[in-house]
Amino acid sequence: MKRSLVGATIVCLIFLPVFLSGPYYTHVFILTMVNIVLAASLRLINLSGQMSLAHGGMMTIGAYTSALLVMKAGLSFWAAMPISGLATALVAYIIGYPFVRLKGIYFSIVTIFFSEVVVLTAQQWQSLTQGAAGIFGIPRPDPVSLFGILHADFSSKVDFYYLALVLMLLCLLILYAVEKSRIGMILRGVQQADSLAESVGIDTTGFKVLAFSVGSFFPGVLGAFYSHYISAINPDAFAFLFTIYILIYMTVGGDGRFLGPILGAAVLTILPEVSRPLKAFEPFVFAAVLIAVIFFVPEGMVGLPKMLKRAKPSSKEGAAHA
Amino acid sequence: MSTAALAQSVLNGLALSGIYILIALGLTLVMSIMGIVQVAHGEIYMIGAYSVYYVVAVLGGNFFLGIVVSTLFVGGIGVILERLCFRPFRGRPDRAFTISIALILILQNVVLALAGGNPRSFSSPITGVVHVLGIAISWKRLIIVIVGCGLLVALFLFIKLTRTGQAMLAISQEREGAALQGMNIDRISATAMFLGCGLAAVAGGFIGSLFSISPTMGSFALMKGIAVIILGGLGSIPGAVVGGLILGLVDGVLPALTTTHIAGLVGFAAIIVILIFRPQGIGGHAG
Repeated sequence: MKRSLVGATIVCLIFLPVFLSGPYYTHVFILTMVNIVLAASLRLINLSGQMSLAHGGMMTIGAYTSALLVMKAGLSFWAAMPISGLATALVAYIIGYPFVRLKGIYFSIVTIFFSEVVVLTAQQWQSLTQGAAGIFGIPRPDPVSLFGILHADFSSKVDFYYLALVLMLLCLLILYAVEKSRIGMILRGVQQADSLAESVGIDTTGFKVLAFSVGSFFPGVLGAFYSHYISAINPDAFAFLFTIYILIYMTVGGDGRFLGPILGAAVLTILPEVSRPLKAFEPFVFAAVLIAVIFFVPEGMVGLPKMLKRAKPSSKEGAAHA
Repeated sequence: MSTAALAQSVLNGLALSGIYILIALGLTLVMSIMGIVQVAHGEIYMIGAYSVYYVVAVLGGNFFLGIVVSTLFVGGIGVILERLCFRPFRGRPDRAFTISIALILILQNVVLALAGGNPRSFSSPITGVVHVLGIAISWKRLIIVIVGCGLLVALFLFIKLTRTGQAMLAISQEREGAALQGMNIDRISATAMFLGCGLAAVAGGFIGSLFSISPTMGSFALMKGIAVIILGGLGSIPGAVVGGLILGLVDGVLPALTTTHIAGLVGFAAIIVILIFRPQGIGGHAG
């Protein structure tokens, strides 16, 4: 059942552009897929019991790395994108060791500071990054053709849609595989009982750094994708608010299950586009929804069905007593 | 750089120190009593600035009256937030942290809707300069140092001499033990939030007398506040004072030597390095 549902969703997504009226809605779906990967990869870091608020900073690093590799070093986008992801993962690995020594909220805070440092560096390193104005005219990906039939030259948004779709599916597959592997099990162990895991001989620091590093690979890749898609990048494109939104997608969807962040990102990205008044007060509404979820549905959207099931019998019981 | 110019930037730095210390004291007070990092503290400070603006520029009131009104009003907001948002999540600092992140967006957007996004300013009633040894000191900045010192002494005396203050100290050291001794944690938490938010409001009001204010001014205050309490040691009041003094002077003097942005970068990088090598800060205890 589950597998066929996933298959059906993928088929729907493949044929979706046919039904989308105009490039604006294609753009919305591209954004949705980007947000889904970001929220799902944030959850991987979260699995180890650390909440990173560096996703925006990591995305900025990926975006600049790819733009500069293509524009200054003459690399192909197809090489630059994975390299950007690896570069971001490497940065996360290096800063990870000192950062994970800080527990809980202090880890989150130092990742906020790290993102600030990334923004300030991009603003200041004029000779490399063109400062606060940012880089313009980032070229599109080189044309590709698969099996001689499918041809994409990225002159239209639909081509980017399919690239985003392939990226999203690949990323989610990797994230799912990591979570179901031994590594995922260990990360859960570390999250639930840090010192217990350590006492049975697990290198908790190493696994936390691993989660931070692997989880930061994805914003790196997506940053590269996004900068070539929008064809521009500036230092505060992915500022604090951006990171907070990813956190909101993850928490509102439900960070306990793999589907949670995916659902949260999809609903919260598409909904404001459908409803204008919602769009006008987006930050306020998102924050209010976040608070409401924390108070009333701590498991998030994916926990709703279970909650309703639990609520029903008890209401019957109440009626019987009355 | 001439000696006079250097002295001038040191004095500017001291005024900044006063503001930073007021912000950091509030943060550290809330942190040590309630065990949470209240990241919407910058927005509290922003509302403090707007309240003073409202009293001074809209109602035409006196600046100092504005500061008092703003302190009480914003302190009241703090009490409400403690009751509604933070008390249900005592013992769950991660949840409280996420709630306070949401509060950043909510408070910012409420002020944006009420006052608009354009920067506002009000003319400071304090004018004139004093000449000391050939250096011109503006009263506007001097008053911040004086009021900051006054509030610091008042807070110190409050903690040292009153029962509530002693209870605060006890709770910050050993929460369960304090509760077992019959201390009312709910009441003390509300008091801490009132004091912390009130201090932020004073800082906001004074910043408004120097620069223009806007709904997004809080992130600067939060970053500086957190930097100060990390520098000084989490939950340590003397640490917040020393940390604020250092960071204010660095921010006052460094931009005169290099560019403003490089100075900002140095500040942030220093905080990361301190967190890594001395997580307990200057005044904090190990462990």
